[in-house]
Amino acid sequence: MKIFRIFIILLLITNFSELKSDEKSDILKNKILKNIRCLICQGQSVYDSESEFASSIKLIVDKKINEGAKEDSIYSFLIEKYGDWIVYEPQLNKNTYILWLLPLLLFLLGGAIIVKKIQKKNE
Amino acid sequence: MFANQIGYYSLILGLLFSFLLCTIAIQDFNKVNKKLNANIIILTFLQLTFVIVSFFSLILSFINSDFSNETVFNNSHTTKPLFYKISGTWGNHEGSLLLWLLVLTLFIFLFLLKSNSQPKKYRILTLLFQQIIIIGFFLFVLTTSNPFNYLFPIPKEGLGLNPILQDPALAIHPPILYLGYVGASIIFSASLAAVAQNYISKEWAQHIKKWVLISWIFLSLGIMLGSIWAYYELGWGGFWFWDPVENVSLMPWLSLTALLHCIAVLERRATLTSWVVVLSITTFTLSMCGTFLVRSGLLNSVHTFANDPARGIFILIFLFVLIILSLGVFFIFHKDNNGNQNNFFWLSRETSILINNWFMMYFLSVVLIGTVYPIFLDVISSEKISVGPPFYHKLIAPFLIPFLLFMALGPRLKWIKSKIEKKYSIIIIFIISIILTFFIIKNLTTNILFYTLLLSAAFFLFFTTLKEFLTKKLNNSSQTIAHFGFSLLILSILFNGILSSEVITNMKIGEKFKFGKEEIFFKKIEERRESNFNSIVAFFEIKDLEGNVVELEPEIRVYNQPLMVTSEADIKTTLLEDKFIVMNLVKGNEYFNVRYQSKPFMVWIWISVFLLGLGGTIGLFKTRT
Repeated sequence: MKIFRIFIILLLITNFSELKSDEKSDILKNKILKNIRCLICQGQSVYDSESEFASSIKLIVDKKINEGAKEDSIYSFLIEKYGDWIVYEPQLNKNTYILWLLPLLLFLLGGAIIVKKIQKKNE
Repeated sequence: MFANQIGYYSLILGLLFSFLLCTIAIQDFNKVNKKLNANIIILTFLQLTFVIVSFFSLILSFINSDFSNETVFNNSHTTKPLFYKISGTWGNHEGSLLLWLLVLTLFIFLFLLKSNSQPKKYRILTLLFQQIIIIGFFLFVLTTSNPFNYLFPIPKEGLGLNPILQDPALAIHPPILYLGYVGASIIFSASLAAVAQNYISKEWAQHIKKWVLISWIFLSLGIMLGSIWAYYELGWGGFWFWDPVENVSLMPWLSLTALLHCIAVLERRATLTSWVVVLSITTFTLSMCGTFLVRSGLLNSVHTFANDPARGIFILIFLFVLIILSLGVFFIFHKDNNGNQNNFFWLSRETSILINNWFMMYFLSVVLIGTVYPIFLDVISSEKISVGPPFYHKLIAPFLIPFLLFMALGPRLKWIKSKIEKKYSIIIIFIISIILTFFIIKNLTTNILFYTLLLSAAFFLFFTTLKEFLTKKLNNSSQTIAHFGFSLLILSILFNGILSSEVITNMKIGEKFKFGKEEIFFKKIEERRESNFNSIVAFFEIKDLEGNVVELEPEIRVYNQPLMVTSEADIKTTLLEDKFIVMNLVKGNEYFNVRYQSKPFMVWIWISVFLLGLGGTIGLFKTRT
């Protein structure tokens, strides 16, 4: 009886944790799919699209997640195959340094201008 | 038939009036009389009338489905409901440019009418600068985008309007947006005129402020209408996708918002003159850039009606002319005469507004670079990259935290030099915000630290402005309402983002699907027929744990002209949440692809934008009295 109870509890726990990891991989999967562009649609992510292209990408991502691939490695895999155009979040590389860093530089510059303006006026 | 000719010749007359106006205005400029030549206002009115006549003859052609007109043929169909025949007038490239012209001429007429107390030379120069823009657009319409091109033989039937544009929100979205977008032209012209006359002053700030407010209110509402449309029409349940075309409308809004704050400083302290001029020029330039990007076909979207390189090149050249003209005027005439007694102190209202401008310019640079950079990269290295929502979220969201805090504290400071008053109440509100946020956020697993900070900052602004309502006699109600609206906007966007849940599944009739605490029941389908489409209407019931049932009826429409299948979402809105359902056909199958979303606080996003607009409107009436 005791063994039976433990068995049930164990079963419940394993089931439970399985459900959890399922949910987690679902969240990860949706996050990834929303970040991939459907190449044959107009301004839609793979997640939002029902096209054949989107369906095939969904299968690939599913497979990769089940194989235990990390988010970044899935992106790099897709980029290698389809080019940078496919991900909505541009990777940081020599092509995109300006894109990512210029706004931040402008922010610093703006701050410097304000500080200078106020200090100068105060003198 | 007639309407075509009347419309076309009215346009030509309108253009001739521009030249006539310029001649008379230049003559009047050097005359000693203090008052503006009355003929000028009459001529401006006549010019406006001709554009209105032209515009109405196009509407008339649309109403009568006169397919001898090429624009009507390309964008209308006899089976379309009257409402969409009319809105089809501006739902295309040629017609929307006519709307541009209409707003341009309307604003200069209103400006002359309402600026009696202003110096004559300043008014004349404003008219001249505005006429340069108007002439440019007349030429653009007449040479590359004539809405009255004649077709022979006359086709029996038109090609129809893109079905996703056949929608009430989208029917009024362009006129409202244009009142803001193109309304910025008058700010541009007026500021150049004021620079040339060395008239950038407190008086000028008071007078131009209401024009800035008008543009700002319409631009805000116009963007919101577009967003509402995207929410229920595009079928994915989001309201902002950082699509280039959305960004293009956001950019002038950001710069106009910066200008709006900056004008307040100019009004009180006669300082920051150069910056005000730069912002005025920037705002309209961004509107023009947006038109260029959208119309040239560089950006691919619903708004790209036709890809004709000649149009792109025309706007590009015109844009450069305007930029060179404005920079020329600025550098030749502008005298920075604020080097006198105007000290800036760290703790002052002016500094807080400078900080506002600092952040606004940063947000603007993010959106601008994110939108334009991929195009440049493509041209230079022919490498294509996508810049989508994650980019903007990463670069904008963290900066919202200090921005919201400054926004709460800034208005409490006094002009020139100030102390922080009532420190304790600020600290108490701050602590309450953090505790409240912590309790809300602790059950949610995502990125706790970041969301706690951002939400606390938003709550802090929320409570600070709320307290203002409750305790003060509301001496600056427009600002308080607008800031309150903004805090509500950020809060509802955040909660909407965190708490939304959705499911995509395939279902057939009679099937039930369990989703979280709710059960989705696919009851039946029904076929319906309208003049411009046939549709399949599905009936869904959403039942929650307490047994409350919500009925939703999404549709799949098959439009006849042009032949196109669209999915129409059905949304049940309550104050707490929106239930959103949309379905698609699955090929050769009895199943339907169903997407169900529960989106908390959705309606508050729209309400908060209305509050922003309300704040602006109150400000408008206050400056008048």
